Amino acid sequence: MFYRLAGVHHTRYETARALWPVPADRWQVAIVALLALAAPFFLSSLYLGSYLLPWLIWSAAALSLTLLMGLAGQLHFGFAAVMAIGAYSSIHLARFGVPFELALIGAGLTAAVIGSLFGAAALRVKGLYLVMATLAMQYLVDWVIINVPAISGGAQATLRTPSVSFLFIPLDTLSARYYLALGWVALVAIFFLNVKRTSFGRALVAIRDKDFAAAVIGVDPFRYKLMAFFTSSFMGGVTGAVLAFCYYRAVTPEQFSFNVSIQLVAMVLVGGLGSVIGGFLGAGFVLLVPIILTNLVAGMAAAGWFTVSSNLLAHVPLMIYGALIIGFLLFEPLGLAKIYDNIRKYFLVWPFRHSRS
Amino acid sequence: MQLEETKAADAARLHPGWKRDDHLLALLARNARERPTEVAMRERDHGIWQEYSWAEYLDTVVSFAAGLEEKGVGPEDLVLVIGDNRPNLYFSMLGAICLRAIPSPAYPDTPPEEIVGQLKREGIRVAIAEDQEQVDKLLGARESHGEPRLIIYDDPRGLAGKEPEGVVAFTSLLASGRERLQREPGLREALLARPSVHDVAILLHSSGTTGVPKGIPLKHGHMLSGVRNAAAAGYFQQGEVHMAYLPIAWVGDFIFSVAAALELRFTVNIPEAQETALHDLREIAPTLYFSSPRAWSAMLTRIQVGIAESTPFKRWLYDRFMPFALDLERARLDGRKPGLLDRLRHGLGELLVYGPIKDQLGLSRVERPYTAGEAIGEDVFLFFRALGLNLRQFYGQTENCALAVAQAPEDISLTTVGRPFPGVEVRIDDSGEILVRGDNVFDGYFEDDAASAKSLRGGWLHTGDAGQFDEDGQLVVLGRVSEVVHTRDGTRYIPTYLENRLKFSQFVKDVCIVGAGRDFLSAIVCIDLHAAGQWAQENGVSYTSYAELSQSPAIYDLVQGIVGKLNAMLPAGLSISRFVNLHKEFDPDDGEVTRTRKLRRDVIDQRYAKIIEAVYAGDEEIDFEAQITYETGQTGVIARKLSIRTLEPATGGRG
Repeated sequence: MFYRLAGVHHTRYETARALWPVPADRWQVAIVALLALAAPFFLSSLYLGSYLLPWLIWSAAALSLTLLMGLAGQLHFGFAAVMAIGAYSSIHLARFGVPFELALIGAGLTAAVIGSLFGAAALRVKGLYLVMATLAMQYLVDWVIINVPAISGGAQATLRTPSVSFLFIPLDTLSARYYLALGWVALVAIFFLNVKRTSFGRALVAIRDKDFAAAVIGVDPFRYKLMAFFTSSFMGGVTGAVLAFCYYRAVTPEQFSFNVSIQLVAMVLVGGLGSVIGGFLGAGFVLLVPIILTNLVAGMAAAGWFTVSSNLLAHVPLMIYGALIIGFLLFEPLGLAKIYDNIRKYFLVWPFRHSRS
Repeated sequence: MQLEETKAADAARLHPGWKRDDHLLALLARNARERPTEVAMRERDHGIWQEYSWAEYLDTVVSFAAGLEEKGVGPEDLVLVIGDNRPNLYFSMLGAICLRAIPSPAYPDTPPEEIVGQLKREGIRVAIAEDQEQVDKLLGARESHGEPRLIIYDDPRGLAGKEPEGVVAFTSLLASGRERLQREPGLREALLARPSVHDVAILLHSSGTTGVPKGIPLKHGHMLSGVRNAAAAGYFQQGEVHMAYLPIAWVGDFIFSVAAALELRFTVNIPEAQETALHDLREIAPTLYFSSPRAWSAMLTRIQVGIAESTPFKRWLYDRFMPFALDLERARLDGRKPGLLDRLRHGLGELLVYGPIKDQLGLSRVERPYTAGEAIGEDVFLFFRALGLNLRQFYGQTENCALAVAQAPEDISLTTVGRPFPGVEVRIDDSGEILVRGDNVFDGYFEDDAASAKSLRGGWLHTGDAGQFDEDGQLVVLGRVSEVVHTRDGTRYIPTYLENRLKFSQFVKDVCIVGAGRDFLSAIVCIDLHAAGQWAQENGVSYTSYAELSQSPAIYDLVQGIVGKLNAMLPAGLSISRFVNLHKEFDPDDGEVTRTRKLRRDVIDQRYAKIIEAVYAGDEEIDFEAQITYETGQTGVIARKLSIRTLEPATGGRG
């Protein structure tokens, strides 16, 4: 219905392979981009700072993880630790007086190096064993951060982020922090969309599908698995730094605990493995749905529709939320991205069921 | 030399109004001069569209002409052109025209013996072929007949590097032509100045419904006046986007894709292959679209099948809006204007149903959709008009460049084909035959003075169609004069008229009405496998083959209903009393229909004589073996027991 394809023809393969060859898709991207750019002007600081900003940053985190899990097929249950390394590195670098821009890159590099070290385990082990190896990374990193005062500032300590500026714009206002997060997530998303079309992306997909088959066709699994861990960890590290500076503005080890790793895996799975829009939708779902459900249940209880004890009230949304995730995995194992894709195709072939041309 | 000059003077005397230098090449040169970079032609190749600008167009045509002349092609030499639509075939045709040679196009699926016939009749020595398949065919002809001595091919696949003797690549001829142009300055202008408006630009052929095809030479002037008449009537506009997917041997393609395209600077778009034509149509979304009634009907079937298997909500929407649009269109044809509420509802329908359907088909930008050739079904005509396409009919023959009469956008009717174009005179003679006169009417058949004299008696083209003018002065075409047939009791009828009305049903692909000199009329029906197969699926009728489906009782009931519906509308004595479903389709390879799918009655009468006898003997069924010819030329047989149905006498009709 909204998708009009008549007259769309290509005279070069480059345009036929463009990211969005369909005009209606381009319009959707443009509208979403415009809304995102204009958000500080029409959203209250509560919504901007407490909903939209974390959504964007966690989307970037989910995209970083889905590069590893969705494209390269390497499970990672310790991604919060990668982000923690990025967050702590950037704060310490900034405190040493390193410019913030460089601190971000430093955060990414530190996370990438340490992440790749643990990723090296992936060369020997697969599946559940890789999960164990990455879990070990989570606990080791947690332990090191808590027990090395030089990093955490002492047990139970909270490190405040120093005030910094990015490209001469001080990150004191919410809008400035919002735009930095928006820029970063846009960068990650564009990188991800394009990486799928490169030889690197295709090599990762080959390894995901069968690593020794990939080796037979000339893709070196050793090299590409390490590259996947490196790239993903780099993006995760920078995202951790952005999370620390733009959202939390102070870091404690609990912010990057094991639960967070599990949440990230949930975002990737619920959103849809290896999909960009899935990264955004998954992060939105995992982050926002519990809040919405809590408000809803509390609102209904306050309106007197039913009475619940406050103890139960804290758990009801979580129960519904758990049921939703199970439901998604049951009915649409390919995640929210697949649901979006189905809806898009429903309109793409409108008013028929299949393409007629 | 003397002789040539007299001939030229004679030709000029025929059409004193034509200016000598007003020819196709001059128009091409004008376009290349005024709009060198504008896209003149597009061809889909390996999924993307290759574009040719007017400057490249002219350059290729002139270079090819220079190369072709080196091979010894000169004025009035005939050049066979065979293949699907390809830019290089158009370029080479114009290159030959530039040398005052005459391209003689043939349908790509013409069998070898017909090719040999054409080569012999027209003394052709040079051929331009699309690909290896056509080259092989021509090499076979050379073995039996000795000609063509030179074959030029376009698609190098399977040929490049191992060409047999006398087979040359289009590209190599082009290269030698380019060299020659560089060697001889001034040759380009000289070449472009050679043709004259009085030259024969192309030799087309009658479809050969009866006997051997006749050659129909059309001059530059005929085609240009036809195109200009049509443009004056608003039939074409400047700069149309046009889809060239119909065979180049058909008059319409040369007129639309070359003559009108050069005169009015069309962008001509060529699909990747015949099979992808509908897909490629959507990528281009032309502004001008011509299709035969049969193809429009197939498109309607495609939509209906698509909706029938669509999701419930979309089907519900379609059922809300499509019948409404049909009612609205019927009212509009009756001259009633829709109210505000109806217009609002129609606008909503445009957004939800009509627009998306047009987009899916690639017709969303079409402003001038046309059909011609035979009568179009009321359902089909109304449907596309209801979708918002201003579908119009026109009428013409190869002899008058297919541009004689057309419907105006504002007064459309189902039964008429409209009014003559300005500059074209049409009248009906005493026997009821349609006569046409104008600058677009040809000057006589190729080397057949008897036929020319017969056809052009008194300066009027005798079309052979029976027709009449209705009260508003619009032309109504009834059928072929030669096809008026009498039953034993002397009742007059035109079989095609009845056949076309039966073919309006999507389930009937072909039908042949039999009844000349008989007591009653009967029909041999070929069902449409696509539509009838879909219907069978929906109604739980199982089948494995065309033959089995055609003989299933349920399909017989279906066809009986269609015939019965027609009988109810016909006068007494004209109803169809018995019919038989044939277990194979009529096929041009078997000679039962022409390549343009017109029936060859003598072949059918002779081949199916046994069936016809059984029908008139009152038998209930008959064992029959049908001959079939495979594309390789081998023959086979399909045997089947066919049942024959008798219809209850319709009210007013006879039994």
